[in-house]
Amino acid sequence: MSPSARARRWAIAFVVLFALTGAMLLVRSQLDKAHVALLFLLVVLVGSAIDGNALGLTLAGSAFLLFDFLFLPPYYAFGLTNPLDWLVLASFLVTSIVAAQLLAHAQRRTREARARTLEVEGFSTLGAETLNAAEPVQALAAIADVIRATLDVDSCDIYVHRGSDTDLELLAHATRPKSASSPAASPSIGSFEPRGWTLPWGEIADARAVAIALTVHGRSVGVLRVTNDPRVDLAPGQRDFLNALSYYAALGVERVQLAADASHTAALRDSDRMKNALLAAVSHDLRTPLTTVKALAHTIVERGASPGDSNAVSIEEEADRLTSLITDLLDYSRLMGGALHLAPQIESADDLIGAALASVRGIVQTRSIRVTADAGSVVPLGRFDFVHSVRVIVNLIENAVKYSAPDAPIDIGVHRADDKLVVSVADRGAGVSERDRERIFEPFYRTAGAPLAAHGAGLGLAIARGLALAQGGDVTYAARQGGGSVFSLSLPAAEQPAEVLA
Amino acid sequence: MLIVDDEAKIRSALRQALEREVGTILEASNGRDAIAMAEQKRPAVVIVDLGLPDMEGIDLCRIIREWSSVPILVLSARTDEHEKASLLEAGADDYITKPFSTVELRARVHAAVRRSQMTPVPGSEAPLVIGDLVIDTARRIVTSAGSDVHLTPTEWGLLRVLIANAGRPVTHARLFDAVWGQAAGDAQLYLRVYVAHLRRKLEADSYRPRLILTEPGVGYRFVLPP
Repeated sequence: MSPSARARRWAIAFVVLFALTGAMLLVRSQLDKAHVALLFLLVVLVGSAIDGNALGLTLAGSAFLLFDFLFLPPYYAFGLTNPLDWLVLASFLVTSIVAAQLLAHAQRRTREARARTLEVEGFSTLGAETLNAAEPVQALAAIADVIRATLDVDSCDIYVHRGSDTDLELLAHATRPKSASSPAASPSIGSFEPRGWTLPWGEIADARAVAIALTVHGRSVGVLRVTNDPRVDLAPGQRDFLNALSYYAALGVERVQLAADASHTAALRDSDRMKNALLAAVSHDLRTPLTTVKALAHTIVERGASPGDSNAVSIEEEADRLTSLITDLLDYSRLMGGALHLAPQIESADDLIGAALASVRGIVQTRSIRVTADAGSVVPLGRFDFVHSVRVIVNLIENAVKYSAPDAPIDIGVHRADDKLVVSVADRGAGVSERDRERIFEPFYRTAGAPLAAHGAGLGLAIARGLALAQGGDVTYAARQGGGSVFSLSLPAAEQPAEVLA
Repeated sequence: MLIVDDEAKIRSALRQALEREVGTILEASNGRDAIAMAEQKRPAVVIVDLGLPDMEGIDLCRIIREWSSVPILVLSARTDEHEKASLLEAGADDYITKPFSTVELRARVHAAVRRSQMTPVPGSEAPLVIGDLVIDTARRIVTSAGSDVHLTPTEWGLLRVLIANAGRPVTHARLFDAVWGQAAGDAQLYLRVYVAHLRRKLEADSYRPRLILTEPGVGYRFVLPP
């Protein structure tokens, strides 16, 4: 509101007052006191309406004096001949003051209501813009625009934290539309003091800018800055508005950060997929030449220069050993890399033990392996990945064979323990010393007394436990009564419904 | 016999391992040649390596199976049981995982050839005699060392499907569909329990089955002793 406009309004008000007074003087004889009072009151109200309280009151005072001096006898003097005229004057003064006050008050109310309506419109526009924007950055641009327009400032910028607190990146920049003609300095983070934003309305070095920290759940996500030339001058209501809107901005910035995180996660997933593809390729590329090696070695054993050639036999055996090492390493890297594919189903212990025994048939031809199940006629069931669980049992049987005397029998047992199906493999070997009982499950660990002939990478038990844990089970060690070891694989058990027995 | 493999070294090794056992050996390095050869030369058995340059092994199985009942044996370097099952569903007779032993490969080839040469005469299936076990599927009688073994109808249903596919793996899904059809219930559970019951009745040692073998992650295989 410029002072010159105000002076003009006052001048007009007084000109009107004096003109009215002059006009009334010409016809004073025909006028009643009430006519004069009402016309003066009218001027006071108009003055109040166009420039508020102060003009209204000034006009009321002036009209009071003019009324007394010119229109109440004795004319051209401030005294009154008729004492009742004091009543008229006093009534006029009180009425005009009260009317001016009431009018100014009502007008202030109207202005406030209009401002509030604008704020609400701002919020609803913002909500709609935020919801409509497909990209989080577009939502932020909309928020910056609404804030700038609603506060009527030169610019509004929104920054996001990248990594450290001082590392800010401009996400949205809104400027006054008309300033497009004047070359606006491109927003540079260097001109902006990050220290300022820790105090929302604290000391900002430059009055042309106000910055506030954007926080979500107590975590600082970015900074919002508004600038205006010559200074940012916000009424308390506007500050509240900006505070409220800055929360939208904070949510928008968080959305940008989350979107960035999501694309990072997608990149990780891609790298996982590549890792799996690589493992599959390595597996394929190593198995194929081994197949050739084995087949050719076998052919030489059968009909080479000297049939039964022991070198050729060794080649075939070593190819098998290499195969099991490769399988171990691949399984181990799958376990470590979280690339293990599990397909748990209802399976029977009969199938599990049968498949494991069939798989080790070649290496345990001379061993006596006894199987005892304490479940009677009931078929013990569990929910587990069959192929991986067979591998665990095979590992345990191979260990039992390796670490016990060639004529010592191996006992396999099956039982239920609460909600677990337990398959145990027991040998009469030397057992495992107290000190080594957990360490034997560590990868590449070998006990001091391990026979050199015990081939493998030292991964067998680590893989066995890893495979068991991955499907909700475990592999544990216990010393066997009378000497030897018992390794137990526990897996989630499943119930056999009664009707199947019929 | 037709060997389909894109690697010359494997074809050569397979040829050397098998040429004494089977007659003429044809070689194809891709799927298109394999289909042409299978059509013209009518091999007794086809060995297919997965990972051919021009088509998926599973598609080759499907195409050959459209017009031929020649046994197809798949070589796979992958250990994905899902894939094995879908290969069997697509028409492959058997699969073998690399690296395999020559002995096992020969046994599979022989079993496949023998199976394809058997001409089933409906209704007059001779009883199977396996050691002291006699299985007469036509009369639904099983005797072990002369004494009767009682099988429930479900066990009979299961056994018949397995014997009808003797020598080759039958997937869990096929077995369940053949025996239980669309019946509700936990397919996996019923199948595991009934197979275990059958083994306990037919096998000398149900943990070391000789007739009904487990194909890990895929299904079961009924084996006829040679």
